[in-house]
Amino acid sequence: MTATWFSAPAPVARRVRAFFAPVNRGTQTPVLFDPSEQGRFSLDAPPAPWISLGWVQDFVRKTASKSAPLMTGIPAAPLEQVRETLEAQVSLQFLSWTKLTMGLATGSQHMNILAPAIGAAPAADGAQALPAVTPQSGSTSTSIMLALTDAAKFTPNAIVAVDVDYTGQTGYVGTPVAGAYVRQALTDVDYVRRVTFNVALVSQVTATGLTLAEPLLGGAPATGAKVQAVAGFVDREGGSFYQEWSGLFVLEGSQGERIFFHYPRLQAMTGAEEANSPLSQKNQAGHSRVLLKGQFLALPITDPLDGERVVCYRSFLPAANALV
Amino acid sequence: MQNAKDSFYMALRTRLTEINPQRTILVRGAVRPGILVEEAEAPFSQFPSDVFVLRWLCLAVDMNLDSTMTGEQCEIVYQTCGTQSFGGLDRGRALSAMDEELMAMIQPFYTPKLNYAATPPAAMLTRVFWDEPVFSPIVTQRDRLSRSATVLVYSCEEQGE
Repeated sequence: MTATWFSAPAPVARRVRAFFAPVNRGTQTPVLFDPSEQGRFSLDAPPAPWISLGWVQDFVRKTASKSAPLMTGIPAAPLEQVRETLEAQVSLQFLSWTKLTMGLATGSQHMNILAPAIGAAPAADGAQALPAVTPQSGSTSTSIMLALTDAAKFTPNAIVAVDVDYTGQTGYVGTPVAGAYVRQALTDVDYVRRVTFNVALVSQVTATGLTLAEPLLGGAPATGAKVQAVAGFVDREGGSFYQEWSGLFVLEGSQGERIFFHYPRLQAMTGAEEANSPLSQKNQAGHSRVLLKGQFLALPITDPLDGERVVCYRSFLPAANALV
Repeated sequence: MQNAKDSFYMALRTRLTEINPQRTILVRGAVRPGILVEEAEAPFSQFPSDVFVLRWLCLAVDMNLDSTMTGEQCEIVYQTCGTQSFGGLDRGRALSAMDEELMAMIQPFYTPKLNYAATPPAAMLTRVFWDEPVFSPIVTQRDRLSRSATVLVYSCEEQGE
């Protein structure tokens, strides 16, 4: 008789894949992952709005929740258990330095260093920037239409930030991801573009605009958005802003089974930190890979299913034909 | 275990035909993809050049599991003298090309397990999977460059195996 099932041993996985999605800070709405509908997604093409941040290493998650017994009787003996605190932490190392991984791995605002205006006074966050230019109609997430004279201000391989002018607003700023929280009005008209996550690499410059190598996180430029060249990125130790993202970590087992760790709300809980990983174990003093360390505190949501407060969902999709 | 070995070999062979269909070998009058299993061919006095030869070595077994898991060490040996048209001066490039083909063949790091004793091959229930290859240093023997890569191939034993 042909067997139609097998007893699966514990999952064997090579690495952990990380996906993040922006929490809407204004409405405090996290992104939820539904393993029943989305569980078999291609790891190279996650469902929107999840963004792949590639493989991560040294992924460690730990619960810090505490339970305590309710004692009763003489001598006292546990009658019940109650959950005193609810807390969980996640730590990992990103294997690449990108706007998103840097932003996630820093405990505060992560800023774009805007290309400086000629003769501008030096500043730690980047000097006063070259003026932004306005996209024309017909722009998309991968193509920014510009006037001929504006397009000539950019070069292929430039990085651009696309977001609105700062006009004195307070609260969360940045589209579509809140890059900072402004408590009191500022004077820098470029501030939103300094903190926005809506950045991309320019692959081609034509007479009609810019072609981007990767789509903008926020899609087509919003009304009022402007484009500015970015020279690099900067973050600071200190500050009062906390990044908050929804996190999804996937382990794919050798038999096709999948383990998901879904944290609806993760906030960076430490400042910017790096880890050195020697390229050769035999030559520890040689070249080292510099990895971004991320450490996150999981914040609770109320599960609408039963009203329970939770910080993480662990899902398991068994391998085909495996006994459960 | 034989099913795992067969499945691993056939996966690499299928992938090689897509990566480099020109890499072939004439064996017993038939042109085949340029990848062989040493133990399934007549003994070699010397490994053929410009093909991959799989050689099965160690075996490890973990029986403390719901399904016994086996790990078999496969050494993939390959060598080249370069091409005649370049007088063999391209042997380094030829070996690098084989390095790259092997790295491409190895991915993804799993394949469905099939029973090739049946005709047509019968799909089984589990996958065969393996680690990254560990490459040895190049060995130079006159005009011949050779290298081997070692891969640990794992599989779960199924009922009837």
